[in-house]
Amino acid sequence: MPALNPQKHAGMLQSGARIILLPSWVIAIAIMLKGYADVGDGFSAGVIAALGVLLQGLAFGTDELEQITLSRIAPILSFVGLGLALLTAFVPILFGENLFTHWPGINEHAVHFGVLEFITPVVFDIGVFLIVYGFCVGGLHAIAREEVRQVRLRDRGRYLRSTTRGGSLADESGEVRL
Amino acid sequence: MIAVPIAVLWFGGFVLAVLDGTRKPAAWLSVAVLTSAILSTMALGITVYQDGPMSLAVGGWSLGVGITLRVDMLSIVFALLSQGVLLAALIYEVVNGVGARIYPAVVLFMGLGLTGLVFTGDAFNFYVFFEISMISAYVLVSYGESPRQFRAAFVFITVNLLGSVFFLIGISAIYHTTGFLDMYRIRDQMPLVQENPAILSATIIFVAFSIKLGLFPFHFWLPAVYTGTRPSVAAILSGALANIGTYGLIRFGADIFPRELRQAAPVLIALGTASIIYGAIQALSRHATNEVLAYSAIGQVGYILIALGIGGPAGYAAAVLYTVLNSTNKALLFLSGSLRGWLAGAAFAIGAFSVAGVPPASGFLGKMALFQVGIAEDRPMLVALIFLGGALSFVYMFQLYRRRTAEIEAHGSSPWGAQVVVVMLALVILGIGVWPDPLLNLVERAALSLPEAQVP
Repeated sequence: MPALNPQKHAGMLQSGARIILLPSWVIAIAIMLKGYADVGDGFSAGVIAALGVLLQGLAFGTDELEQITLSRIAPILSFVGLGLALLTAFVPILFGENLFTHWPGINEHAVHFGVLEFITPVVFDIGVFLIVYGFCVGGLHAIAREEVRQVRLRDRGRYLRSTTRGGSLADESGEVRL
Repeated sequence: MIAVPIAVLWFGGFVLAVLDGTRKPAAWLSVAVLTSAILSTMALGITVYQDGPMSLAVGGWSLGVGITLRVDMLSIVFALLSQGVLLAALIYEVVNGVGARIYPAVVLFMGLGLTGLVFTGDAFNFYVFFEISMISAYVLVSYGESPRQFRAAFVFITVNLLGSVFFLIGISAIYHTTGFLDMYRIRDQMPLVQENPAILSATIIFVAFSIKLGLFPFHFWLPAVYTGTRPSVAAILSGALANIGTYGLIRFGADIFPRELRQAAPVLIALGTASIIYGAIQALSRHATNEVLAYSAIGQVGYILIALGIGGPAGYAAAVLYTVLNSTNKALLFLSGSLRGWLAGAAFAIGAFSVAGVPPASGFLGKMALFQVGIAEDRPMLVALIFLGGALSFVYMFQLYRRRTAEIEAHGSSPWGAQVVVVMLALVILGIGVWPDPLLNLVERAALSLPEAQVP
C-alpha cells in the first residue's frame, strides 16, 4: 500500500499546483530582471518557470501537459531561445564588431526602466531563459509521455489476458501505479 | 577567426534541429557542416602553429575583464581529434541509415561543446561547453529507445550528472580561493593560495574528470553504457567525449594546478597502474566485443594518467600522444566491431593490433613514447608495467579477433559504405604508424604550450 492515499491527497496537490503556477512565473520573471542589478539570470528563471509547469503534470498527469499551451510549445520556445541567443552573439560580427559586442556599448547611455537596462544582453538572457525552460519542460514531458505509453500498453495487455482467462480486473494483483 | 569553428557548428546544429535528420540530404548536410568546422579548425591551427597562441576577449572588453577564448596547440590537437572522431561516427551512421531525426543535430551540438571547451580560457565557460556536450551525450545514449538502451542511458546520466556537480563545486572552490574564473589569472594566483584549499579544489576537479574518463575507481558506469548503446554512439563516447576527461586533466592539472599535480604524482601513478591491470584482467575474462573494448578503454586511460604523473615536456607529450592514438583506436574498434565482411574484419584487425602495440599500426607509438619516458626517468617498474600491460592487451585483443573471425564465417557481409568508412579510419591509423613525424611534432608543440613544460 502506498503511504499516501491518492484519492484523498490528490485534491491538495492539485489545488496547490494550480495556485503556484502563476507565482512561479512571476518569481521567474523577477529573478530574470533583477539579474542586472543583483543575483539571478535567465538560467535560474528558466528552471523555476519550468518547475511551475512540470508540477501541473505531476498533479494532474501527463495528459494535462498536453493541454497547457506553455508546455505544448516548449520545444518551439527552446528553439526560438537558441536562435535569439545565437543572433545576439554573432550578429555583431556582421557589423565588423567583436563577438558578443552589445549595444548600447560600454560607457554609453542606456535607457533604464527601474533596475532593467535596455541593452542587447537582455535579449541574450531571454534566449537563455527560453532554452532552459523549453528544454526542461520539453525533455521531461517527452520522457513522461513515453513512460505512460508503456505503462498503458502493459495494462492493456494485462486487461486482455485477464478477460480471456475469464477473471475480473478486481482480482488482478498487479496494481496500476503511475 | 577563433570563433569560426564554434559559429559554424552552432548555426549548423541550429538549422539541422528543424530538419529531418533521417532524410539523406539533411544527414549529408550535417556531414558538410562538420567537415567545414574541421577545415576552419585546421586553418586556425596553421595560424597558431606559426604565430603562437591566440586569444579573443568577447564583447570588445579588455583582456582580463571579458570572457576570453584562447587557443594554443593543445586546444587545436584536441579539437581536431574530437571533431575527426565525430565525423567518422557521423558518416558511419549516415551511410548505415540514421535512425532518429535529431541524431545529426545532436552530433553537431556535441562537436560544438567539445570544440568550445578546448577553445575557452574561462573556467566557468569551460563548464558551460562541457554541459552542452554532456547533454548531447545524454540524448545520444538514449538514442535507439529499446529498454536496454534506456537503462544504459539512466546509469550514464546519473553518474555523469554527479561528475558535473563535482566539477561545478571545484570551479566554485577555485573562484572562492582565487577570486578569478579566467584560467590565466587563476594560474597566476594559485601559488599564493594556501596549500590545503588548493589541494582540495584540485582533488575535486580530478575526481570530476576521472568520472568522465572512467578511470579505475570511478569506472563502474562505463561497461554497462558502452555495451548498451549503438556502435556509433559507443565510438563517440569513447573516442570523442572521453577527451573531455583527458583534456581537463592536462589543462587543469598541468596548467592551473602544477604544484598539486607534482604532489599527487605518486597517487596518479598508483591509480594509473591499478587501472591498467584491472582493465586488462577484466577484458581478458569477457566475451562480448563491446564489453572487452569497454574494459580495454578503462585500462588504456591508465597509461595517460601515468604519463601525466611523470610530467615534464616528455610526459605531457606522451599523454597527449596516447590520447590521440587511444581515441582513434577506440573509435575504429567500436565502429568496425559490429560490422561483418572481410574489409571490416581487416579494419578491426588493424585497430586490434594498434591497441596491442604491434607496429606498423600507430598504437605502438604511444607505448614507445611512454617507454622512452620511463627509461629517461629511470623507472624500471614503469617499464615493466608497460610491458605487462602491452602483453595483456595483446592477449585479449587476439582472443577478440579470433572470436570475431569465427563469427564472420557464420554471417554475411555488412553494407559496403559502412565498411569503407572504417577502412578509411584504419588507413589513417596505419598512416600515422608509418609516417609519425607530423603527429609527433604537433604533440610536442601541444605539450610545449603548457607553462610547466617550458620550465626545465
